[in-house]
Amino acid sequence: MTDPMTELQFKWFLTLLTGGVSFVWFIFDARKLLRLRGASSADPSVRDQRFGYIMGLVIATIGVVGSAKYQGWI
Amino acid sequence: MAVVSESLPVPVKPVVSPWNPANAVTASRFLTLPFFVWAVDQGYHQWATLFMLACGLLDKLDGLVARIFNCRSAFGELFDAITDALCYGFGLVIVAAYGWAPAIPVIGVITLGIANTVMRAIYVKRAGRTTNYKSYAMERLVAYTGYLIGFATAGFEVTFFYWLFLPVMVTILAYDTKRMLIDPIPEAS
Repeated sequence: MTDPMTELQFKWFLTLLTGGVSFVWFIFDARKLLRLRGASSADPSVRDQRFGYIMGLVIATIGVVGSAKYQGWI
Repeated sequence: MAVVSESLPVPVKPVVSPWNPANAVTASRFLTLPFFVWAVDQGYHQWATLFMLACGLLDKLDGLVARIFNCRSAFGELFDAITDALCYGFGLVIVAAYGWAPAIPVIGVITLGIANTVMRAIYVKRAGRTTNYKSYAMERLVAYTGYLIGFATAGFEVTFFYWLFLPVMVTILAYDTKRMLIDPIPEAS
């Protein structure tokens, strides 16, 4: 059975699927986190969202750095 | 003489059958697993990655279907979380068994995943109703878990992604443990 993509296509497919999605994810979570700036941390829901978005930023950063490593850029 | 009540009718939440399109999409994720195992067994890295990608995309699709058909339910959310755990847990075991992923992080991830499942069960017992524990951080971690399997099948910086996953998961689980076992449970909406 043949592979659906060439090696190079697959490499770029993975990079976009991981690095590209992570980058967009980072922007989304950063915006959501900024919107919560004025919200009170006494509200458990706000605390959970804030923690979730910070973890989202950490995971997205890992995704971007891992993709850059895979491409040999860092 | 009949007594006519003048009070306003109390809105009744529609009862959603568990046999609905969104849960069908969630259940269909299990159909990708035999193809995934076949691809791993045959050494087809690209096909294995694509089958796991299909499983992940169906996870995104079920929420959309639930909104379109207006069939969101507490059971559906719980079923989705259980399906995530089973599909991704199974996928991780397979890639580790075939030597495509490092065993120690996989054992750590599965152990922490089981601990999380047990705490979710305790949370449901504390709540006294069918409810899914909502965690923004865990939603993001589940997506990362799906990616982990793809990283292994594709040979995509496997060591980097697997070893960094563990401290992130420990941090999120520690935070969620406090919420599930100690903090007050919010009222049903």
